[in-house]
Amino acid sequence: MIRRPIQPATALCLGVLSVFLLMSGYAWLSHRQHATNPKDTTIPNWSQLKEGVVSICKADKRGERWLIEDAKATGLRFFLGLGLGLAGSVLLGMLMGCLTPVEAFFYPPLSLLAKVPATAALAVFFVMAGTGTNMYVAMIAFGVLPTLTLTVCLAVKEFPEELHYKAATLGASHWEIIYPIIFSYVLPKLLDAVRLVIGPALVYLIAAEMVVGDVGFGYRIRLQSHRVNMAVVYPYIALLAAFGFGMDYALRWLQRLLCPWFGESRG
Amino acid sequence: MKRISISTLMPVSLLLAMAATVTAPAAAPAFSLAWSEYPSWSVFGVAHVYNLIDGREGKLGPIEQKWGVDIVLKEAEYDPCLTMYASGQCDAVCITDMDVLNPALGRPSVVILPTSTSFGADALIVANTIGDIKQLRGKKVYGLQKSVSEYCFVRNLELLGEKESDHLFTNMDPSAAAVAMQQKQAGFDAIVVWNPFVMETLNRRSDVKVLFDSTTIPNEIIDTVAVAQASLDKPRGRQFACAVIDTYYALNERIAAPATRDETLVALGEKFSHLDLAAMRKVVQQTKFYSTPKEGLAVLTGPELRAIMTKVVDFCVKHEITTKAPTVGYGTKAEAKTADLRFDPTYINLVAARKR
Repeated sequence: MIRRPIQPATALCLGVLSVFLLMSGYAWLSHRQHATNPKDTTIPNWSQLKEGVVSICKADKRGERWLIEDAKATGLRFFLGLGLGLAGSVLLGMLMGCLTPVEAFFYPPLSLLAKVPATAALAVFFVMAGTGTNMYVAMIAFGVLPTLTLTVCLAVKEFPEELHYKAATLGASHWEIIYPIIFSYVLPKLLDAVRLVIGPALVYLIAAEMVVGDVGFGYRIRLQSHRVNMAVVYPYIALLAAFGFGMDYALRWLQRLLCPWFGESRG
Repeated sequence: MKRISISTLMPVSLLLAMAATVTAPAAAPAFSLAWSEYPSWSVFGVAHVYNLIDGREGKLGPIEQKWGVDIVLKEAEYDPCLTMYASGQCDAVCITDMDVLNPALGRPSVVILPTSTSFGADALIVANTIGDIKQLRGKKVYGLQKSVSEYCFVRNLELLGEKESDHLFTNMDPSAAAVAMQQKQAGFDAIVVWNPFVMETLNRRSDVKVLFDSTTIPNEIIDTVAVAQASLDKPRGRQFACAVIDTYYALNERIAAPATRDETLVALGEKFSHLDLAAMRKVVQQTKFYSTPKEGLAVLTGPELRAIMTKVVDFCVKHEITTKAPTVGYGTKAEAKTADLRFDPTYINLVAARKR
């Protein structure tokens, strides 16, 4: 009974069924809302949603396609911010894990900062980093850096001593022990941690875009909700979900590719 | 002048509430009013503090008893108020004449009460280095797109004979734009914001000035209370509209009376911003209240309104704020049967008649 395997076909059917139920639940909500008010735009029906999707994709008066403009802006901010945060946390985390004085110096502030929700500090970022691309990048980078750094640091500390001695006995220098040996050990755990911070990073970015953006997903969602044009808002939310899911999938794939041993040890 | 805060008034209002509030009898149906923090809309929150009405469900203040309805106040930020109203989660909402167009397309609505108009409360603030509007061409002007800020900006350009296409109105939340200007961040030489940000920015930087503001377009940006037609059609919907109007004018009497004026203004300003009494006096000049039934009726029945609403609707269609133009009607339901949005003086008249 418990954890008994099922046929792949059954699993697929169940997956499809749950998505179908979700869709019909939505259709029912929309139908109910349209029964009370035929002109409703708050829970759009499928044809309204289709119009919404068309308006996202077609060129507006200035010849710009919302989806393309927003995806470019949001994507750039997201990847720059995440990239910077990631680079910083690998560097700092490796140093902290390997060198005890560095750890003693950075650990207290980082463990405090890791608990500050970046959205709460939104105004602080506007004040310190302006309102350009810098601000979004700084916000994401600083938002994810403490957590990722601590993850890297802990992973380094988990590095088994016997491997350390073995490498040293075989003649590896200090630097060679750090890279590639310890780094390879840390990498799969780092990729797992990155998967976990994608969600928060998106939250910071969207929140900031809602307030100061003039282009981007957060900007569009806020503007269109203000206009009660939910037929545009829902597809954008679905796209964000798809983006998060895609990132997650890509990182898992990367993990399998770069660290084939890791999956085996995890079973 | 001693600052009287809501918290010091709390015990008094609680006592009053215990004395005056009664539990709603089954005959007083509940109607909800969504409001956000703004001078002429905070009136409803303050009316609850002074126990003219009781904003909780199932409790009636004196005005609610008089009309036999239960007003339920729902306070939220402005944007969520609009969403709440559009999705039918409240019966009435505090909204501007421009923002009501979209919800009205989905939910036929009636403006029952104009509360105030922007008379300087929306302004273009520029650095002193910018002498006139021509120098702004090609420069970024920050403000909230598709809002009254953009409307005020574009209308003033028209009045000055400027082409809109020469100017770059760039989206930014007014609070963020105001902070950026107060910090002298590079590139923030021009912002269009509303109060309290106008006053705060002018207070904090001596080298900026107002290039133009909404005093050039009086009565065009109107703050109102709109009620869904379907809610007005419900039993006692009419009384609900009257009770809301009655509450508004009752609190305005408190503002007009010398004995209660300052204290009421401070209560109004409590959450609006940390502006002091002197500043609040200025705020209520720049957000000019339609404080008597006479002034309210002058707006709803005056000759200007139709021309203004045509301008507002044109602007909204041209700037893709609404997908299509709603039909705007004036007068009673019988007089404007097919209107998506109707300006109706009936309810103010009813309230004024009952007062006499």
